[in-house]
Amino acid sequence: MNTFLVFLEQREGVVKKSSIDTWNRAQELAALHPGAAVSALLVGPASTRQLDGCPGGNGVIYHANEEAFRLYNPEHYTRLVVETMKRVAATTLFFADTALSRDLAPRLSVRLKASLLTGCAVDDAWGENGGGCCQRPVYSGAAIASFAPCRPLKIYTCTPRASRISSPITSGARASVVVLEPSSSTSEELFPLVRRMAMHEGVRDVAEARIIVAGGRGMGRAGFGLLEALARLLGGAVGASRPVVDEGWRPHAEQIGQTGKTVAPALYLACAISGAPQHLAAIGSAGIVVAINCDPHAPIFDVADYALVGDVHLLLPKLIEEFREFLKKR
Amino acid sequence: MHIAVCLCQVPDTASVIDFFEGALDLSRVNGVMNPFDEYALEEAVRIKERFEGSQVTLFCIAPSSAKEMLRKALAMGGDRALLFSTTEPADTFQTAGMLSRAITDYYGEVLPDLVFCGKHSTDFQSAQVPLMLAELLGMESVSAIIKLEASRAGIHVEREIEGGIESLELHYPALFSVEKGLNVPRKTTIKAVMEARKKPIDLLPVTLSESSCVTITSIKPFVREKKCRVVQDPKELVLLLTHAEALF
Ligand SMILES: Cc1cc2nc3c(=O)[nH]c(=O)nc-3n(C[C@H](O)[C@H](O)[C@H](O)COP(=O)(O)OP(=O)(O)OC[C@H]3O[C@@H](n4cnc5c(N)ncnc54)[C@H](O)[C@@H]3O)c2cc1C
Repeated sequence: MNTFLVFLEQREGVVKKSSIDTWNRAQELAALHPGAAVSALLVGPASTRQLDGCPGGNGVIYHANEEAFRLYNPEHYTRLVVETMKRVAATTLFFADTALSRDLAPRLSVRLKASLLTGCAVDDAWGENGGGCCQRPVYSGAAIASFAPCRPLKIYTCTPRASRISSPITSGARASVVVLEPSSSTSEELFPLVRRMAMHEGVRDVAEARIIVAGGRGMGRAGFGLLEALARLLGGAVGASRPVVDEGWRPHAEQIGQTGKTVAPALYLACAISGAPQHLAAIGSAGIVVAINCDPHAPIFDVADYALVGDVHLLLPKLIEEFREFLKKR
Repeated sequence: MHIAVCLCQVPDTASVIDFFEGALDLSRVNGVMNPFDEYALEEAVRIKERFEGSQVTLFCIAPSSAKEMLRKALAMGGDRALLFSTTEPADTFQTAGMLSRAITDYYGEVLPDLVFCGKHSTDFQSAQVPLMLAELLGMESVSAIIKLEASRAGIHVEREIEGGIESLELHYPALFSVEKGLNVPRKTTIKAVMEARKKPIDLLPVTLSESSCVTITSIKPFVREKKCRVVQDPKELVLLLTHAEALF
């Protein structure tokens, strides 16, 4: 029998959308595999009201709401997850693919002697061929590899799905919340120790945005004002190609590509980005791709759904105007 | 300080990844140092330059053809390179296991003060080996750092999280995986390249003692199925996105 444990990550007391999406996916998988059960572990103080009705499905959400878990601590988190895996006799541990899970999962895989599959699209094919397989792009998106775990315990960090974003399961069932007893070890000061966490004010992270308005070298430094305006209007985030970051026009956190972030927004708008393989490698899971470029032969058009050929400096103000009109009427 | 840097080789990004009769064909691929490992190496060399008497040792599990890449790494400031070509690891866990034995074989009882790795290799992007290695060595570790301040007493680092930054504190010995943005790797000079020729590259054996945790069952070419529709103007685009695609 399969028992899934889903790690619910909170930052500043708010459970991440990507974690809720992962929970929903685990519920879907459980529905496909009779006998499978789903539990979750929410680490750190967080309002569980946010979870009310949102993660549907069956199962227990174990909540470790101690203050000591507010900030990420690799060792405390590792111990807690190991304990909880034992407690619920979990065979499979699901994370959303985040900075935290990329740090925590490799530690856990050694501690638990588990197979680790990072950055995977866990889809309906998960149960095929003996179970637990998943796929992801390799070699800058030139190829797709299938990975199969060989150990009884498995850990996944799951990439977001472009098409369905945190669609709540409406089966009517409700998960119950069990608050965990404070653990004795959390009073110990364990290193590495996160001293501080500073969030950027009012900036949406590209890795989590549903809409990304990305700009390349052709935007020019000043041109990013247009992209910011459009992103604000659509509730999206600004992204950038590498030269833009290397020039210092935008922070590294916004870089998309092989040496930046991998993204899966519902809409990716590429403005004055040529579409180098290192850039395309990171947008393979995007939903709709729109490219605006003055060069009709730019490789970005090979991966785009919609193309607008022309000068971004002329087209973007018009595009912003059209969206504004549409949103006003709606 | 004793500083170890783990280096791997990846296909040059200009190389074409080919398939021959359905199988991956890397014969035309040119191997280069993993870009993230360049940041790792640069950081190691900067620390060496600050703390007198430091030694930077390079650990690399790769075919013997990786020697050329190691020459470059030595020119960037490594002191000695160890190349382990006898066995090819099948997954990240085997790689981490082999590296941990290579490191303990070399340094003996006392662990190196610092170990640096790239955040991930650009070919597979698993981002697993560094922290698995730290766990196997029993070292404190942090992944994907973008800032590092080392003093004799301890180390402060920063890492990016979604929408913010975490600052961490830890002790020696420590292992870090390194994100772009930590530093700008130096260009090698002709003098450094000449000097690197005199530095040792040792070909050493290392045993494979753990079974693999993950197998790759297939690698297939990625076929893009997108058909691009050219739209006339922003008005048409907004109409399509809002109606046909119902995104808003
Ligand atoms: C090891 C390695 C790692 C890399 N990692 C990354 C990565 O993570 N992310 C990344 O993005 N790149 C990465 N690169 C760089 C990559 O190879 C490309 O150089 C880069 O993506 C190009 O960025 P760009 O499209 O913004 O610029 P360019 O290639 O210069 O393209 C600019 C585009 O803008 C168009 N344009 C110019 N002016 C206008 C205008 N007024 N109106 C409309 N269109 C206009 C041009 O037609 C052109 O298509 C990496 C490279 C290497 C070697």
